[in-house]
Amino acid sequence: MATERITVFCFAASYACALVGELLQLCWPRPVQRLLATGFAVAGLLAHTLFLLARPPALSSQFWSMLFLAWILAVFYLYGSLHHRRVAWGVFVLPVVLGLTVLAGTLDRTGSGAEGPVSHDPVPIRVEAFWVTAHIGLLLLAAVGVCVGFVASVMYLVQAGRLKAKALPRQGVRLLSLERLEAMNRRAVNLAFPLLTAGVLIGGALLLQRPEQLREWGDPKVWGAVVLWAVFAILLYLRYGVQARGRRLALLTIMAFALLVFTLASPHPVVQGGGP
Amino acid sequence: MMLVAVGWSFRNTPLALRERLAFDEASVGQALVELNARYGCEAVILSTCNRVEFYLARAADPVSLDAGLIGEFLAEWHRLPAAELLPLLYQHSREGAVGHLFRVASSLDSLIVGEAQIAGQVKRAYEFAQRCGSVGPVLHTLFQYAARVAGRVRSETGICHGRVSVSSAAVDYVRQVFDHFHDKTVLVIGAGKMGELTLRHLRQLRPRRILVTNRSPEKAVAVAGGCGGTAVAWEQLDDAIARADIILSTTGAPEPVVSLERYQKARAGRGGGPVVILDIAVPRDFDPRIHDGDRTCLFNIDDLKRTRAQTLKDRLKHLAPAEAIVAEEQRKFLKDWSRRRNAPVIARLTEELEAKRRAVLQQLMAKLNGKLTDGDRALIEGAFRLLQNQFLHGPIAALAEEAHEGGSHTLLEALRRLFRLED
Repeated sequence: MATERITVFCFAASYACALVGELLQLCWPRPVQRLLATGFAVAGLLAHTLFLLARPPALSSQFWSMLFLAWILAVFYLYGSLHHRRVAWGVFVLPVVLGLTVLAGTLDRTGSGAEGPVSHDPVPIRVEAFWVTAHIGLLLLAAVGVCVGFVASVMYLVQAGRLKAKALPRQGVRLLSLERLEAMNRRAVNLAFPLLTAGVLIGGALLLQRPEQLREWGDPKVWGAVVLWAVFAILLYLRYGVQARGRRLALLTIMAFALLVFTLASPHPVVQGGGP
Repeated sequence: MMLVAVGWSFRNTPLALRERLAFDEASVGQALVELNARYGCEAVILSTCNRVEFYLARAADPVSLDAGLIGEFLAEWHRLPAAELLPLLYQHSREGAVGHLFRVASSLDSLIVGEAQIAGQVKRAYEFAQRCGSVGPVLHTLFQYAARVAGRVRSETGICHGRVSVSSAAVDYVRQVFDHFHDKTVLVIGAGKMGELTLRHLRQLRPRRILVTNRSPEKAVAVAGGCGGTAVAWEQLDDAIARADIILSTTGAPEPVVSLERYQKARAGRGGGPVVILDIAVPRDFDPRIHDGDRTCLFNIDDLKRTRAQTLKDRLKHLAPAEAIVAEEQRKFLKDWSRRRNAPVIARLTEELEAKRRAVLQQLMAKLNGKLTDGDRALIEGAFRLLQNQFLHGPIAALAEEAHEGGSHTLLEALRRLFRLED
C-alpha cells in the first residue's frame, strides 16, 4: 500500500519546508510564501496522519507517542495560522513539531522506536491494560498542554523583549499581545496539571502493585514525571498563591517543557516497548 | 480642450496667507458662478487647509487661460494685493493639470503622504461645483477619473498603511500588551491638548472605566465630563495608579510627577496584569526606569514619534508604484478624452463622404440606366465604397495616433477646416 511507503522523513521534510517558508515570510513578507508554508504543513500533516493510521496505536512506544504529540501540535499550528494570519505563529510552533518528529525518528533509528527497548529486567507481571493506557494517555494529553504552554511562553518572552526594547509595533515579528499569551499559557497549564496529576498517580499505583519492581522508582522517566509535576505545582502556586505573572512563569513553563522532552525520550520502566 | 490647474499650496505659501485665501462653502458657490460668468469655463475650487486650487476647463477652446488672470481674480475676491499672490502661484496645463489633480486626489502631493482625507475633500469640491452648475463634460470626466485613481492608489499600494498621528500610534503600543479592553481602567493624569487626542483614540477601545485626575479639580471634572469618566482627587493619585491598566499622563509639571519609588510603592499591592503608561508630557511625568517591558511598559512622546516617522518612511517606499498608477491613468484619460473629442468629427466626415458617394453614384447610375447588369451595378457600388473607406482610413488612423500620443488636436482642427465640417 502507498501509505506504507510514507516515512518519518517525508513529513519531517514537509514541516521543515513549511518552517523555511515561515522564516522567509518573517524577513520578506509575501502572501505566496505564507500560502506555500501552509501548503507544505498541510501536506506534512496529511502524510503524518496516514503514517499514524497505518500503524496500530502504541501508546507505550516513545516513537509513537512523540509522533502523536507532534501530530496534535501540527494541527495546533494549522489552527493558529488560520486564526492569526498576521502573527508569526509558525515560527514558534513548527520548530516544536519538527523537533519532536526528528527526535522520534532518531529514537526509531537507535532501536527504541515502534518495537521499543527491551527492559533489563522484563516485567513478569501482566499489566492491567486499561490502567496502563489511561496512565500513558493522560500523560500524553498533559504533554499537549505543556507544549502549548511552552510555545505561548517563548512567544511571551519574545514579545516582552520587543516591548522592553521599545520596538516599533508594526515592524519585525508580529505576535499576540502579552495578555493573550499569558492567558494561553495559563489555560494550558490549568488543563495539563490535573491530567498530569492523574497520570502520575496511576503510574505510581502501577509501580506499587509490583514490590519486586521497586528499584524502578529510581528510573529517570519516573523522576522526570515527578519533577515535571512538581514544576507544575510551583507554577500554579506562583500564579494563584503569590499572584506572580510574566517572565518568571514563562521561564518555568519552558523548564517544564525541557523536563517533558527528557521524560518522553526516556524508556518506560513498567511497560515493555517503552512509552511516555 | 483647455484645462488648467492654478493654485497655492503648503509647499510655497505660508499658513497665514493660505488662511486668507481659503474659501468657505458660501463663498465657493459665489466664486464658481463668477468664474463661469467671467471666463465662460467649467470650474471646480478645491479649498483645504493645505491648498487652494482652481481647476478650469473649456471643451471647445484649445487656448489656455492665463494663470495671472486667476491670480488677479483671487486677489480681487479676497481683497489682497495681487503682487503678494502672483509670485506664489503655480500652474499646470492640459496633461500637467490632469497629472496634478490625480496626484492631489491620491494624496501624493499632501503634507503627510498617504493621508486619507484629501480624496474626500476632492470629491466634495467636485460635487459642490456640480450642484452649482459649474461642471461640464471635461471636469466631470476628469474628476471621475481622479476618484478612480485615488481608489487604485489606496488599494494597490501601501501608501495609506500605518499610523501617522502620535495619538493613534499610542493605540498600537497598547494593543501589543492588551488583547481586550472591556475590563480595563484608563487613568488620565493632566489635561493637555495631546492628551485629549490620545484619550479620544483610547476611548474607541471601549475601556470599562476612565479615571481623570488633575492638580486643578475643576479641570479634572471638565475632562472627565467630556469623556464619560470619573474625576479623582489629585491626592488619590497613588491609589488611582494602583487601579489603572492604562495610564495616560500629560501634565505640564516641570519635574517628574511619579518617581520609581513612588510607582513601586503604589503598585505593590496590585496582583493583576501588566500596565501601559503613555507619558506624552514634556518634560516627562514618569521616571523612565519604571519601564521593564513585562509588567510595566512605559512609552514617551519620542517613542510615539518614532512610530510616526517610520510610517512616513514606509509610505515613501510606495511612492514610485503610486506615481506609476497616476501616469498610467493620466495617459488613459487623455486618450479617452481625445477619442471622445474625435468621435463626432469622424462621424461627420464619414457622413459627408457617404452622402457625396451616394450622390455621385446616383448620377452615374442614372446616366448608365439600362446598360448595366445587376452584377455590374454591384461591382461599381463596391468600388466606390472601397474608395471611400480607403480615403477615410488615412485621416482616422492619424487622429487615432494623435490621441494615443496625447496630441493637441491640431489634426482635428485641420480636418474640420479642410472638409468644412463646421459648416
